[in-house]
Amino acid sequence: MQSVTTTASSPSAAAQDLPADGLVVVVKQDCPTCRLVAPVLGALDAVDAVVYSQDDPAFPDGVAVRDDTALDASTALGIDVVPTLLHRAGGAETARVEGWDRDRWRELSGVADLGAELPEWRPGCGSRTHDPAVADELLVRARGHLLAARRVELAGLEDEAEALYDRGWTDGLPVVAPTPPRVLRMLAGTTRAPDEIVAVVPPNLVPATVEKVAINAVLAGCRPEYLPVVLAAMEAACTPEFNAHGLTATTWGAGPAVLVHGPIARRIGVNAGGNALGQGTRANATIGRALQLVIRNVGGGRPGEVDRATLGQPGKVGLCFAEDEEGSPWEPLSASRGVPPGASAVTVFAAEGPRGVVDQISRSPESLARSLARALLGVGHPKLAPGFDAMLVLAPEHVAVFAEAGWDRARFGAELDALLLRPPEELARGADGIDEGLAGPTQPQPKFRPGGLLVAVAGGGAGKFSAVLGGWVGGRGGSSPVTRVIEEA
Amino acid sequence: MHDLAALEADGVTATFVASTEFVAATDAQARALGFAAVPAVYVAHPIQDRTDAEMAALADEALPRVLAAVTRGSSES
Repeated sequence: MQSVTTTASSPSAAAQDLPADGLVVVVKQDCPTCRLVAPVLGALDAVDAVVYSQDDPAFPDGVAVRDDTALDASTALGIDVVPTLLHRAGGAETARVEGWDRDRWRELSGVADLGAELPEWRPGCGSRTHDPAVADELLVRARGHLLAARRVELAGLEDEAEALYDRGWTDGLPVVAPTPPRVLRMLAGTTRAPDEIVAVVPPNLVPATVEKVAINAVLAGCRPEYLPVVLAAMEAACTPEFNAHGLTATTWGAGPAVLVHGPIARRIGVNAGGNALGQGTRANATIGRALQLVIRNVGGGRPGEVDRATLGQPGKVGLCFAEDEEGSPWEPLSASRGVPPGASAVTVFAAEGPRGVVDQISRSPESLARSLARALLGVGHPKLAPGFDAMLVLAPEHVAVFAEAGWDRARFGAELDALLLRPPEELARGADGIDEGLAGPTQPQPKFRPGGLLVAVAGGGAGKFSAVLGGWVGGRGGSSPVTRVIEEA
Repeated sequence: MHDLAALEADGVTATFVASTEFVAATDAQARALGFAAVPAVYVAHPIQDRTDAEMAALADEALPRVLAAVTRGSSES
């Protein structure tokens, strides 16, 4: 049976029977080192050692063994290796020896001639608690009580992918079934409590717990180490400034995109290099998708319902990338957004899909800036200014032109601002035979409001191509980019 | 819709006006928020490219329905 559902049991009562004081040995018959040390376990009877056997209650022969084939004691003791010799006092572990180490076993047991006939040292074997065949069951048994989400049983003959699609939990692509073991493994990616409210998710304003976000991270295909990024992105997206409700409901096609800053990007593998805006990298492909699935499955933002996008765009499945902070000659975008040096953060911003900008000829910063400005004027409509926000992603070969000429991020921004200040006669309704435009402008207008154009550096080493990600209406009545520092353990 | 719910919860009769393209969005949000019926007033789509005169005509056409929506409570009670 496929299960997104099984009823979680509470921690086994057997775990409560652990000896509070004295020696504990955990072994399994299917371990050469355990068989090697079997003779010494009899000698430990004299010091009242308690022996647990993970796979055969009759092993070792001649010793009073506690049956731990259910692995409750091993799980409660956190056994990684067998044999393991433990000393406990007052219900807490005070010492542990993994594998056979004659001197340490003698020291811990107080039996001076223990194992005289054995070699000095032998490594142990893996504990059965790490056997993939039982690990999931143990995980649910130990921690399943932390899960509060409604369980749904799938019939044995139901196709998992089809069943989840039929329930409306997907963006159209197959999702990973959020079984209790998968959700529990995802929750290991954060120290935050499963029942903590992360955000109130629009459009239906439904509180999302860490558990609910983790479930959608599983659906999206995230790894547990991505979860802190997803949680921070959720917090950022559910602020009034970001206005995820409006972004979901608008007929415009932009969606929430995620830019990852700081060391976590490299550590979890968010791509900032070649194809950073494309396919092929799990973190990029799934983090933004998880955010969108929470908005869909928790917030109720579904296409055809509250999501009224006329056309939409492929980035609405999920769009996430990192700035190439190590490779960039400029200070990172995060510095101007209040992120302390060395910290990790996310910036959530409204974005359409990327449009490439070609300039393979310009070798002066002035020329290249003009090329980029010309492309940026197309955001929304060339005659609407200010209108929509945007993100400019400068590829390494382009940013190098500016850096080599001594232009830093601030100089580049100032030069771009000047180029993007457009005369009223160019913007007015009817100008160039186009009815669209501003109604009666009398002064030059900036293409972007202050703070409405973000500039990040990313991309592969070859290609004099940058990219423009058009946004949505900026500021009040629209959306503003929001940055959140990522909470890490 | 959230504003509508908040106003109604405070005892303030409310309605909203949207174009006919947004009926499905209204229905979806109404179901989610537990509205049995939404006192919405729909006008012909589109809106964005209307002239001022066309907008005024739309408003004139909609006004009796808006008034009916916001006075329904007193007339029914």
